[in-house]
Amino acid sequence: MDFKSLLNNKYILLDGAMGTMLQEAGLEAGGIPELLNLTDPELIESIHKKYIAAGSNIVYANTFGANRYKLKGNSVEEIISAGISIAKKACGEKALTALDIGPIGQLLEPTGTLTFEEAYSIFKEQIIAGRNADIIVFETMTDLYELKAAVLAARENSDKPILCTMTFEENMRTFTGCSISSMALTLNGLGVDAMGINCSLGPKQLAPVCEELMKWTNVPVILKPNAGLPDPVTNKYDVLPEDFAEQMKTAALHGVSIFGGCCGTTPEYISKLKSVLEETDIKREKIIIPAAVCSSSKTVIINQPRIIGERINPTGKKLFKEALRKHDIGYILNQAIEQTHAGADILDVNVGLPEIDEKEMMVSAVKAIQGITDAPLQIDSTIPEVLEAALRIYNGKPIVNSVNGEEKSLETVLPLVKKYGASVVGLTLDQNGIPPKAEDRFKIAEKILRRALEYGIPKEDVYIDCLTLTASAEQEAVMETLKALKRVKDELGLKTVLGVSNISFGLPNRAMINQNFLTMAMAYGLDLPIINPNIDAMTGAVRTFKLLTNIDKNSTEFIAAYNDAVPQKPVTEKKSGTVSLSYAIENGLKEDSASATAEMLKNHAPMEIINDILIPALDKAGANFEKGTIFLPQLILTAGAAQSAFAVIREKMTSENAEPVSKGKIVLATVKGDIHDIGKNIVKVLLENYGYTVIDLGKDVPCESVVKAAIEHKVKLVGLSALMTTTLKSMEETISLLRQNNVNCKVVVGGAVLTQEYADQIGADFYAKDAMETVNIAKQIVG
Amino acid sequence: MQKIKLEKLNRNEALRYMGHRGEVSTALEALMEKCEAELLEHISPAFIYKVFDIEESDEAVNVCSTTLTLRGKDIREHLSGCSRAVLLCATIGPAVDSFIRKKEITDMSSAFAADALASAAIEQVCTMADEIIKSQLPDKFFTWRFSPGYGDFPLDTQRDFLNVMNAQKRIGLCLEESNILTPRKSVTAVAGISDHQVERKKRGCASCNMASKCNFRKRGEHCGF
Repeated sequence: MDFKSLLNNKYILLDGAMGTMLQEAGLEAGGIPELLNLTDPELIESIHKKYIAAGSNIVYANTFGANRYKLKGNSVEEIISAGISIAKKACGEKALTALDIGPIGQLLEPTGTLTFEEAYSIFKEQIIAGRNADIIVFETMTDLYELKAAVLAARENSDKPILCTMTFEENMRTFTGCSISSMALTLNGLGVDAMGINCSLGPKQLAPVCEELMKWTNVPVILKPNAGLPDPVTNKYDVLPEDFAEQMKTAALHGVSIFGGCCGTTPEYISKLKSVLEETDIKREKIIIPAAVCSSSKTVIINQPRIIGERINPTGKKLFKEALRKHDIGYILNQAIEQTHAGADILDVNVGLPEIDEKEMMVSAVKAIQGITDAPLQIDSTIPEVLEAALRIYNGKPIVNSVNGEEKSLETVLPLVKKYGASVVGLTLDQNGIPPKAEDRFKIAEKILRRALEYGIPKEDVYIDCLTLTASAEQEAVMETLKALKRVKDELGLKTVLGVSNISFGLPNRAMINQNFLTMAMAYGLDLPIINPNIDAMTGAVRTFKLLTNIDKNSTEFIAAYNDAVPQKPVTEKKSGTVSLSYAIENGLKEDSASATAEMLKNHAPMEIINDILIPALDKAGANFEKGTIFLPQLILTAGAAQSAFAVIREKMTSENAEPVSKGKIVLATVKGDIHDIGKNIVKVLLENYGYTVIDLGKDVPCESVVKAAIEHKVKLVGLSALMTTTLKSMEETISLLRQNNVNCKVVVGGAVLTQEYADQIGADFYAKDAMETVNIAKQIVG
Repeated sequence: MQKIKLEKLNRNEALRYMGHRGEVSTALEALMEKCEAELLEHISPAFIYKVFDIEESDEAVNVCSTTLTLRGKDIREHLSGCSRAVLLCATIGPAVDSFIRKKEITDMSSAFAADALASAAIEQVCTMADEIIKSQLPDKFFTWRFSPGYGDFPLDTQRDFLNVMNAQKRIGLCLEESNILTPRKSVTAVAGISDHQVERKKRGCASCNMASKCNFRKRGEHCGF
């Protein structure tokens, strides 16, 4: 018997709770139940046997929390292999044994500090330890990212079937915000053998969740709910076995075919469930899964024009290239936020620059971007290793940009697309270049589709780019692109994608050409325009098209975007454009500060504005803060306003090839173990305003990274921050490692729990009681 | 478990956390208002509680039929005379963390305000949870909430605390190796339950282990604890 043959049954019955049974047997709450695999195997075996007697086809071994984080030093190998042996012994020929793996118990970055790679390694250890199991189950997952690490670890270290269940609340989201469609799209792509829902609520509340899941997958669906909710005083669950079984019927009628129980359920629940399922008709119809991509919390269905923002790309952008050289992730994140605010549905991410490590940069950028936006990403690189590195750590179902009709491209890119379950952009070009005629581009599209299908990539996940040529150079080619696009759409039934702005190179009034070409392309069937969403005319063309084609019902989206009455302007913006720069900074008016600076740059040199207005305004605010006439909120508002003025100046200077002079570099870090970095970030803004270049290492920074950065950038000052008493230790270690390595720099420390006394004790050179004091120290040390 | 929904946030409290005193300027007022509205969209309060029998030992208080021991003289004193205790875990969810993260990129002053407002929000959730718990156990008397890290009640109690409460499964509450709770704006706390009125020391600087390094105290203020 194996899982595949079980699937021929009308339904598969899993077991009920292990924890509930163990607590009934006297296990203390909070204890490590997996230790019982070693200390009381008979108890565990007897529980498995009760479930098998009740009708379970599959039992979950007692290995749920057996990972190296939760086991606190006990052997993962020993405890898991014992757990599997016990279950196998109980099963005999009657049932299958599942290696049961729950969440690690720590949140992944960026909310927590656990990296994707560490999570993978933790799961890998469990999977190898559980190699004798028949099936691998991941359950009670709430973070899609963690689950992806788990599934990859299983795929790459085992050939056993993989079952995944996540825990959803009544709002159809997990605690981390993962949606049903995101779970399904991602897991479909990763090729799991069954997926579903467990824990959290009773069968009644989870039935609608199952119903929704049915719309997004064709793999068998699992439901393993709780026996309702526990009473906080008596600890009893509130759904009885008969009711539980009866309520599970709804899910069966929706087409769920794998059933079990989670917290609060016992063998009695399983046997009642079995009798109900025997008499229930379970039918499942194959569905067509919509063409869609997703992040962990947002699904974008490609059933109408969706904007792919093109701005995260260094081509032709000085500031962007500079940011990549400086590893300035903040710059890229700003581009991401700006585009989603402007209306981008999906963001293209291209960080290719010959002189940098593109793979490392791509991974850092994708991790950071997915930490601050829910827009799905399009991974854009010409290097397969870069694509793979990004696909691995992407949290959701991305688009790969791109493959083309050349054999070498097809055979390197498509296997990656298949393995990681992405969508792919197929460019209609090959070793002979871009065919001039529509029919030849169509042929390449056909070839790409055929090869994708051969690799097992579903048709819905292939998007074809018929390639825009420049109208000024090849005017006759414009309509060929559109004709090819229409044929791909109509005859192959594929979604289409097109970069638009190439069309107008070398012509005046590019914006007008771009906008009109975009509208034409949409009329020919373009689904995914790749554009600069920050240009109103382009985003506006898409919105207008949706309105006129009756996609944007009742013009809702259009009105929301353009009706001024809807977004209410804050009080501070009233005076916009009319105030002086010094007034704007003093009063913390960000937008005004930027516009006043732009205005002043028409008649004043950048350095003049910096020295005569910005620095004096900052000094004044700093002095007032020290005197206690203004407080931290105003100081930060002022700093923010000055920051936006500096941004305008920097842009101007860079465009004139006159980089603003830096006063020197300073390394800042929130120490290892600590994730509170708001204080450090406030210090960063102030230091940058005063003209220092801040090398921001972020939070949870290992001691070695601080030392490495201090040496590499030859800094005179390192700033360390910690908020917890428990992480002060890392601060001390970082300082001592700097000293051991004879790094010639001073160290300033700050953070809520620090005092001058403690700073002295751990060997810091300075203690800064607030952000302003760090600036004064920087002046003293760096100049 | 009853649901808690926050309609508004305690802006004055947040301003206090931000170190603000005196009159609030128009720009600051506008900032707070905007951040409050945006933050409310990202807050999803969740809490769980469970009542346990407790018993005092020499150095600690044991939470019966669990692995949890509450160590330290402060928690012992806090629970003296109580035969039971309620354990509470509460959070306003991970979306708040990512919201603040995003603000840190685009606008530090909003991030600062949002962070303080979120701290005020989790306090509000705890206070509301308190009310719900009290309403479930009428005729009982409660001590105030005491959290790991207060006084000499060790922060590394968090691990067992979360395990006993099954907090990850039930409300998504996790722990870093450094004993920091994630999502960031979360609280664990213990309150004693008694059949009689219980006399307790007022909360205050004397029972706070931050007293020597507290920013409020440095300014001659009081945090309200």
